[in-house]
Amino acid sequence: MNCETVTKLIPLYFYGELPPDDEDALEQHLDACAACARLAESQRKLSAALDRRESQPSAALLAECRHDLMRAIYREESSAVRRVEPRRSGHWLEGLGAWMPSFGAWRMPVGASAMLALGFAAARLTTPGGSGPLSTASLIPDNTISSVRSVQPVSDSGRPGEVQIVLDETHRRVVSGQLNDANIQRLMLAAAHDESNAGVRWESVNLLKSHSDSSAIRELLLNRVVEDPNPGVRLKALDGLKAYTDDPEVRKVLAQVLLHDANPGVRIQAVDSLTAHADDNMVGVLQSVVQKENNSYVRRRCAKALQDLNASVGTF
Amino acid sequence: MAQDAPGAVGARLSPKLDEASLIRAVQRGDQDAFEQLVRAYDQSVLRLAVNLLRSQEDARDVFQEAFLRVFRSIDAFRFDCSFHTWLYRIVTNICLDYLRKRKVRKEEPAVVDTPEGPLDRTNDFEEEAAHADPERNMWNRQLSSRIEGALAGLTPRERMVFELRHYQGLRLRNIGEILGTSEEAAKNCLFRATQKMRAELGDFQ
Repeated sequence: MNCETVTKLIPLYFYGELPPDDEDALEQHLDACAACARLAESQRKLSAALDRRESQPSAALLAECRHDLMRAIYREESSAVRRVEPRRSGHWLEGLGAWMPSFGAWRMPVGASAMLALGFAAARLTTPGGSGPLSTASLIPDNTISSVRSVQPVSDSGRPGEVQIVLDETHRRVVSGQLNDANIQRLMLAAAHDESNAGVRWESVNLLKSHSDSSAIRELLLNRVVEDPNPGVRLKALDGLKAYTDDPEVRKVLAQVLLHDANPGVRIQAVDSLTAHADDNMVGVLQSVVQKENNSYVRRRCAKALQDLNASVGTF
Repeated sequence: MAQDAPGAVGARLSPKLDEASLIRAVQRGDQDAFEQLVRAYDQSVLRLAVNLLRSQEDARDVFQEAFLRVFRSIDAFRFDCSFHTWLYRIVTNICLDYLRKRKVRKEEPAVVDTPEGPLDRTNDFEEEAAHADPERNMWNRQLSSRIEGALAGLTPRERMVFELRHYQGLRLRNIGEILGTSEEAAKNCLFRATQKMRAELGDFQ
């Protein structure tokens, strides 16, 4: 094996793509040829440098991608579902809500468990033809979803071949209305707390954040940004608080997020919001973050903010 | 010294169902099976898109478009190849389109110059080990910038072959199958890609 051949084969050798005989011949050549051995070493260094470059998508990004996919599939097929006759279950979109557990019940405007929790408000909303509180909202009866609980022969009926089928049925309604409708907002505020369904929480926060001038919605955003277990929801809540980063109460919460949130993406967004305004009260928080933060972007933003405030980066 | 690349793709399927049974279940309209199928591959698909495109927004679009195509055309899957190969044909075609469009538009690279040195925007969401050495960090950023420059100098096809071999750990024969070419052509692509990068990066440590 000569140097020209070896040069061409080194990448394949490195990636384990050579037949055993060629690999042996190449290794013999490397033992005897310093120039080709340097080339092999160069390939190893290149590979090591490229290994360090690899990006692992964050859990939040993956969660958002799954959510977007669900939404796209739902939009694409929802018209087909509407054409399904009532009580005809079994179309696979009937169960879409279940097929990604974290986004279960996505295709309903609000999560089922949220509906149960609503009690009085929901009862008023879902009264067909009702007037008063829901004058801007319309109610559209929808399908009934059935699942078979049990099937058994009926032996004592006297009629051979008779069977008994027990169905569990859930009656579904679609509630629609304007986001600024107080009743719609109440439904969505409840949905934004639906512990069983991150997809419903994410979409509820995403829609409500455009109405953050309402104190109830701002309270929700402040709560979700700290309490929600899903980083995608926390990021959306942070988005909604951007207009209030000069509010002392909001800044206190942002500081807690910056200090304690486990997700670097959330901390990045928190530091961007927090450092948008110069604030001497934040010096201690910023110094603390510089000391303990793992993410280089967050550290740099805090250090820069401290410099702008003429404060020392470290604590002494 | 010969070694396999890290991060070899492995579908993470529940032991309850083998893949062929899962796919047949999806074709019959089983939503749980579709969920399992998506979840078996979606992390590696997203990682491929993020690494190739160095843009979270583009990666999200690729993810969605790829699995929507799977959703729409799973009935047409006839087991002529593995599902992994079929899925990766879809994903790599979409990614190659993005890379080609980007070549034409000469989009802004992922690594941008800042007053504090080159900064890879896609690193913003990564957890990093705490580095106390700013000089080392600066050096790493400069190396990262040079690597991005070297990768940007590859053709979309070279870039794809390199990505699939180095980061996804696929064998060249499988890569050829995915890209609709021969193993030999994939080998040549990999050779050209490494040659170009070594020439571009020179004597880094």
